[in-house]
Amino acid sequence: MTPLSRRRFLVLSSGAAALAVGAVAGLAWMRGSAPDVAGLRVLSAQHYRTMAAVARTHIPQGGAFPQGAADFDLARMFDGYLADQPEADQRDAGIALDLLEFGPLLFDHHATTFSNLTPEQQLAHWSAWGTATAQTRREIFWSFSRFLGLTFYDQQAVWPHIGYAGPSFARLATRPAELP
Amino acid sequence: MSEVLDCSAIGFVPHDLKCDFLVIGSGCGGGTAARVLAEAGKDVILLEEGGDFVGPDRLTQRDTPMYDQLYVDRGGRTNKDRTVNILSGRVLGGGGVINACDVVPIHDATWAYWQKHHGWSDFSASAMQPYVARALADLSANRIEEKQINRNNQILREGAQALGWRGEVMLHNRVKCQGLGSCLIGCPASAKRNPRMVSIPKALAAGARVLIRARALQIRDATTDRKRVEVQTMDSKGYHPVNRFAIDAQTVIVAANPVGTVALLRNSGIGNRTLGQHVSLQPQVPIVALMPDRVNAYDGIPQAYALTEFEQHDPDVGLSGFRVESIFGTPGVLGSLVSAPGATGKALMAQLDHVAAALILIPDQPVGQINVRHDGRPEVDYTLTAEWKARARQAIRAAARAYFAAGAKSVVIPAAPPLLLQSVDQLAQIDTMTFDPATISLISAHQQGGARLGTEESTSACDLRGQVWGTRNVFVCDGSVFPSSSSSHTMTPIITMAHALTDRLLMR
Repeated sequence: MTPLSRRRFLVLSSGAAALAVGAVAGLAWMRGSAPDVAGLRVLSAQHYRTMAAVARTHIPQGGAFPQGAADFDLARMFDGYLADQPEADQRDAGIALDLLEFGPLLFDHHATTFSNLTPEQQLAHWSAWGTATAQTRREIFWSFSRFLGLTFYDQQAVWPHIGYAGPSFARLATRPAELP
Repeated sequence: MSEVLDCSAIGFVPHDLKCDFLVIGSGCGGGTAARVLAEAGKDVILLEEGGDFVGPDRLTQRDTPMYDQLYVDRGGRTNKDRTVNILSGRVLGGGGVINACDVVPIHDATWAYWQKHHGWSDFSASAMQPYVARALADLSANRIEEKQINRNNQILREGAQALGWRGEVMLHNRVKCQGLGSCLIGCPASAKRNPRMVSIPKALAAGARVLIRARALQIRDATTDRKRVEVQTMDSKGYHPVNRFAIDAQTVIVAANPVGTVALLRNSGIGNRTLGQHVSLQPQVPIVALMPDRVNAYDGIPQAYALTEFEQHDPDVGLSGFRVESIFGTPGVLGSLVSAPGATGKALMAQLDHVAAALILIPDQPVGQINVRHDGRPEVDYTLTAEWKARARQAIRAAARAYFAAGAKSVVIPAAPPLLLQSVDQLAQIDTMTFDPATISLISAHQQGGARLGTEESTSACDLRGQVWGTRNVFVCDGSVFPSSSSSHTMTPIITMAHALTDRLLMR
């Protein structure tokens, strides 16, 4: 192997650095800016935007009943949940949200990001995470879908539409004093 | 002290806490051990990392806050590849607070299997009978009454009967049950005769000190006469550490569920190479049937009938085969399993009141491993075996057949994408299920092993008294001690073993 001269090394490393800076700048441009969101505890505005888009996609408004994830701001609930998790989990969630946001570019080779897809494209892309070849994508899919399903269907406003009569204790006449 | 002491109280930092017996974990194992020791006149401290939840003001029947507060890792613990949701209690009373109240003692064939293949010479079915009796008495075990069987359970029974399959109405530990249906997130009516309602009050009455929101971090001096256990107090929600203190104890009994027990011992530098090995998760497959009429499965006893036709007990294999048990809960549980995104998932959930559901319990071989990460947190490495997958496919076929025999319009297996079956003619589709990591959401409610008892240090983590090899008076007393799946439901087996092991401790 030909020894690397100092000059050639500098040229190559400058080129690599320029490419990296360009790539980061390109990704940032592609992602676009996210509006400020007041009161977030852990998520950045960018991560919040991605999470909100995933939530809207997983449980959209309309269809079998009117309510969807957007009605209850499940992304903010995720932020609240995450804030009380260990730092390592917060870091992992951030990485997962970045992967999701750049999913269309990384896995579908489309020069756009998840938040910038149309709702139909988002649904197709998100659904593909559940059946992806890469195990990491499936793991992320299950992690988010579990959280979203649990929190959404715990919302009282949803219950009349799914035939759930609500917590049974309040429905019964039994009072605590009469209990064993 | 005759009441539960909440360590999350502001400024709580006790000094010079000493006891004869420190019990770590207040579930079926720890709660029982603390009570037996206290009633024998011993000076006992019982530690619990979770909070105390009793009554309708605390047990609200709401998914999000209850999973958050009653379950380890806020209900989010999974194995490493996120295929199995590992559920265990983090609350005073442990798993008994959040289980479905099923009383299923260890089968004679399983005792025989352990005797023959794992050196459990002292634990014959007949020798253990007095301890089984004590466990059943603690639980006020009784058969679920016919009038208490809700439509969800009736449907499975009708299907089994139509096919000529064996099944049974189960024993449970409820007394004056109101049929509230939220057993998996606690009983606001306090009908469960669980450790929180039985053993712990008795332990307190006998003088035991009970500390909650207190996480044991490390056991020091495990080979000496007195041990020092480092304890972290947690905030009122159990999210963040607050203070630290230490407890001086002569004997330490670890009963923190297999994952917690192994993690604590490992973080303490205790245990041989077998510790953490041979873990059984007993993964369960959820199955959902859409019925033509309303089921309202969320009301009434969730788990009353078991289809047992295919369950096998063999002195050379232990527990095998599978069983199917109806189950239901609050809507968030089903919502978390229905992974179909978009309108499809909503359409299924919109029929919640027409849904019948069951869990297929498929005993496994103890092939898992509990490790501790560099940050001290446990990690469960568990991969489904080919044999288990084959049995799971058979089991899903059987459960689906039962539902179709009972008149189901369709049957759904919550996978990604969900497997939707419209008739028995489509059962062959089940054979396409790979069970590859993160393709289906399985549930583990009965973790066992990790600190198995045995006669040889090379093949077990504890001796037959439950003492961790290489320590002096550090014992394990929970589901960790079993060499293989003890039963389809672990509450009764763990209480049985806790009685037996604590008796041995007292007879030293």
